[in-house]
Amino acid sequence: MTKWKFFKQGVLEELPLQVGVFPFGVIYGIMAIESGLTPLQAFLMSSIIFGGASQIVFLQLFSSASSIGTIVASIGAVNSRHFLYSASMIEFLGNLSLKWRIILGYLLTDEAYAVSIRKFMNEPPNRFLHFHLLGTGITLFLSWQISTLTGVLLGGGLPQFLNLQFIIPLTFIAIIIPMVKSFSTLLVVLGSGISALIFKNLQMDFWIILSACVGIMLGIVTSKFDIKS
Amino acid sequence: MIWTSIILCGIITFLIRFIPLSGVVSAEPSPFIKNSFKYIPMAVLTPIIVNDLSIIQNNSFFLIDNYKLYAGVIAIIVAVISKNILATITLGMGTFLIMSNFINI
Repeated sequence: MTKWKFFKQGVLEELPLQVGVFPFGVIYGIMAIESGLTPLQAFLMSSIIFGGASQIVFLQLFSSASSIGTIVASIGAVNSRHFLYSASMIEFLGNLSLKWRIILGYLLTDEAYAVSIRKFMNEPPNRFLHFHLLGTGITLFLSWQISTLTGVLLGGGLPQFLNLQFIIPLTFIAIIIPMVKSFSTLLVVLGSGISALIFKNLQMDFWIILSACVGIMLGIVTSKFDIKS
Repeated sequence: MIWTSIILCGIITFLIRFIPLSGVVSAEPSPFIKNSFKYIPMAVLTPIIVNDLSIIQNNSFFLIDNYKLYAGVIAIIVAVISKNILATITLGMGTFLIMSNFINI
């Protein structure tokens, strides 16, 4: 296959996922304006951070006047799974030039990874394979920018009684619940949730990070009880 | 402050995605690291949900008249059944709007 064919295939395989991505981008754009960001800040965040859930986490923490340290640590934690995506890609992208690895590292989001890693694992070695990830990544990038802009333009014009801020926890519920697939993941959610109630009530600083640590430790300790599939 | 936060978050996000590809660290994380990493997103997002459902207000539990809590429970049920982001947001938001605008408990 040629470069162009890999790229085109990446674009075409990524397009169906935009049914879920586009409304999410619009919601982010609306929420960003509701949270007090300027249209420029809201729009550029989508290319500077370029991560759906992490941008919504940013808005929530920003609107609750959290410190920069808490915001950056929380964003890093939410995006930590991308470290594993990147590590699993080294086998296919490790020989590329630094310029390519920088571009593809930037584009390595959940949806682009999910589509391209399947292609990489099922395709015989080919020196143009990375064009597939370029196709999936650019498709997602453009969709995210356009949907964000749509939300930003809609944002200011919506009535207050809609209480759109409440979309943030609902979005997180929608993201987390499908991740709860085992005994240990259930305990992570329960442990971090109950810890949050306790630590927040005690008005402790960094209560999000502390609660997360409790949840993660519970998950690690109880993972041996999970039924192996 | 906002721009600084956005740029720092952008840098940390890029580094997380790029560092393994850069070849600076060992390519294959240990099973312990892999196992721990999968718990991080849900462990960070759950406290934010708990906070946003306003279960704690003024240092006491706020449960009975808490429309956000009821809507959150509906959203959890919808998410368990449908595993669909849009359905979860729509039905959770719909429950909250109906309760907060039309019901006086």
